[in-house]
Amino acid sequence: MLERFIQVVRTDDPGSEELAATRERLKGRFAPGTVRRMTQLGLFVGAVLGELEPGEEDTLIYASQFGESRALEGFLDSFPSASPTLFQTSIHPSGAQQGLIGRQRSVREFFPLAGGAQLVCSAVQAALLAPSERVLLCGGEERGTWLVASGAASDQAFAFALALTCSRLPGAVGRLALEPMAEPGGALALADWFGLVHHRRAFAGPVAPGWRLILEWL
Amino acid sequence: MDTSTLNSPVLLAACDCLTPFGDANATHAALVRGERALQLVPVLGGEGGDPVPLALLPGRALDETNPPAWLHSLQTMLAPVAGPGWGTARRPVCVTSSNFGVGSLYAFRRTGEQAHAAHGTAHGSVELVRRALGWGENVAIFSHACVSAHLGLIHAARLLAEGAADEALVVSYDFLSPFVTGGFHALKILNADFPAPYQDRATGSIGLGDGAGYAVLSRQRGDLALAAHSLHNEMHHFTANRPDGAGFAAALAPLVAAAAGCRLWVKGHGTGTLEAGRLEVAALARAFPGAPLVGWKGSLGHTLGSCGLVELAIVAASLRAGCTPGTVGSASPTFVDTVALAPFANAAFDGVICASNAFGGAHAALLLSHA
Repeated sequence: MLERFIQVVRTDDPGSEELAATRERLKGRFAPGTVRRMTQLGLFVGAVLGELEPGEEDTLIYASQFGESRALEGFLDSFPSASPTLFQTSIHPSGAQQGLIGRQRSVREFFPLAGGAQLVCSAVQAALLAPSERVLLCGGEERGTWLVASGAASDQAFAFALALTCSRLPGAVGRLALEPMAEPGGALALADWFGLVHHRRAFAGPVAPGWRLILEWL
Repeated sequence: MDTSTLNSPVLLAACDCLTPFGDANATHAALVRGERALQLVPVLGGEGGDPVPLALLPGRALDETNPPAWLHSLQTMLAPVAGPGWGTARRPVCVTSSNFGVGSLYAFRRTGEQAHAAHGTAHGSVELVRRALGWGENVAIFSHACVSAHLGLIHAARLLAEGAADEALVVSYDFLSPFVTGGFHALKILNADFPAPYQDRATGSIGLGDGAGYAVLSRQRGDLALAAHSLHNEMHHFTANRPDGAGFAAALAPLVAAAAGCRLWVKGHGTGTLEAGRLEVAALARAFPGAPLVGWKGSLGHTLGSCGLVELAIVAASLRAGCTPGTVGSASPTFVDTVALAPFANAAFDGVICASNAFGGAHAALLLSHA
C-alpha cells in the first residue's frame, strides 16, 4: 500500500468570482506588482500553495484537467497576430508556476499532470511514489468562457493544496493511501476530489481500474 | 540517496521514435549522414505568414485535420508494442506531451467545426489515442513543456521500483500546428534562420519538429539501463534561466555522483538559442569535463514535450550502432571545443547523459548506460 499523512490542507472555493475580484481578494498573498500579470488560476493555486511555503526539497505535484482556460482562449483569439504573453501563460503548468516564480521559489521535483477520469488517481500515485520527505499536492481550475460549451474548458473554479509527509507528525489531519484491488473500473473527477478535501469528507473506493483510494480525516 | 536518483536501474525493454526521417534507426542513419529535416514552411500553415524552419512528417500539413492526420503515424510507430494489457494497473501507460491535441483546438477556433474540439484538450487527445491503441484506462498524463517526457520516464520507473507495476509504457507525442508555431514566432525565436545548436553566432534561433517516441520500462528485460534521473525547477522566470546557470548545475549535480568513474558522452538540449545554449554548455563542461556534446535539434527541430523520448530513442540507436551522430546544422566556432560536429565512435564510452530544458527554468537529465 502507498500512503502518506496529510499535515496541512488549504482550499479555495471562489464560486463565480470574476478575475478583478480575485485579484483584489488575493493581492495580499503575493509580492507587490506581480498580481496584475497573473491569471485567475495562477492566483487561486498560488495563494493556497503559498501557504504551505514550498521548499527546494519538496516534491510538487500539480493537477489540473484544463489548466489555463482563459489564457488559452485569449491566445486562440489573438491570431493571426499571436500574443507572446498569452502563449507562454497558456502553457501547462503555468497555473502553478506563476506564484512560485513570483516568490522565486525553486523546487527540485515538479510533476504537473493533466487528464480526465484518472487524473486524481495519477496525481495521488505520483505524490505517494515521491521519495522526498514532504510532498505538496495541489491543483485547481478556473472557469473558461467560450470553450466551456465545447467541453474544452472548466465550468467551475477551485483550488487545493495539501502537505503530505511519510510519517505521522504531530498535528496530522488526515491519511491518504492507494491500495491495489481487483475492481475493474473506477474514476474520480478532480472537482469531486476537491469537494472531498474542501469539506473534509472521508472516501474509500475505486479511483482507477485496480486502484482504491482511501482518504481519512483524523 | 538524492531524491532524484533511482534505487536501482530500470531497463529499457523497447524504445523507438518517429521523426520526418522515420524510426529511430532511420533517423540515426540520416543524422550520421548529416541530413537536415527542417524546411522553411509558412508559420501559419494554410493561412501563410513568414517562412520558418519546421520538420513535418512527410505529407503532413501544419493545419490539423479531423481526425488528426498524425494518429495513423502514431499507431504505426507503436505497432511493435501493440497488444493487450497496456493501460491496466500492472501495465500502466504514461502519456507525455506539451501540445497533445491543441492543433485541433486551433482548427476549432478557425473553422468552428465542433468535431475538432473533442480532442483539443490533453485528456480528449489522449482518449482518442487510447481508444485507437486499445489501451485500458490506467493512463497517466504528464505535461511540463519540454521536459514532459522525462517526467513520464521517472513516474514509470518509480512504479516499477515500488513493485506497483510489472512493466510500463511511456509514450510521448508532439505534432506541430499554427498554435505552437505562431506562439514561438511571436516570441521571436522562431524565424527564417535555421537553428545551429551550440554555434557561437550573432543571433540565435530555433526550429520545430513533429516527433513521437515510446519506451517500455521493465525490471526484467532490456540491454540498456536508465541508471539515474534528475530534475530541477528554477522558478526564476517564464522564459529565461537564472543568469548564473545555477539551475543547469543543480539539475546535473546528482548525475555527476551517479556517473562517477564513467566515461560519458552527452546528448544536450541545444535548441539553437544563444543564452540558454551558453549556460547549458558551461554547466555540462563543469559537470562532465571533456565529455563530447551533441545536439540534434539543428536537423530534427525541437520536438517540444517529446524531445526527451525522441532523442532517447536516437541515443539508444546510437549505442547499438556504435556511432553517435554529430551536431547537425552547426559549424565552428562553437561555445566549447567539446561540441562534436561530426559523428564519432562510442564503443569506448560507459554511458550517456541525456538532458532537456523547458519554460520556467525546468531542467531534466538522465543517465543511460549498458545494462
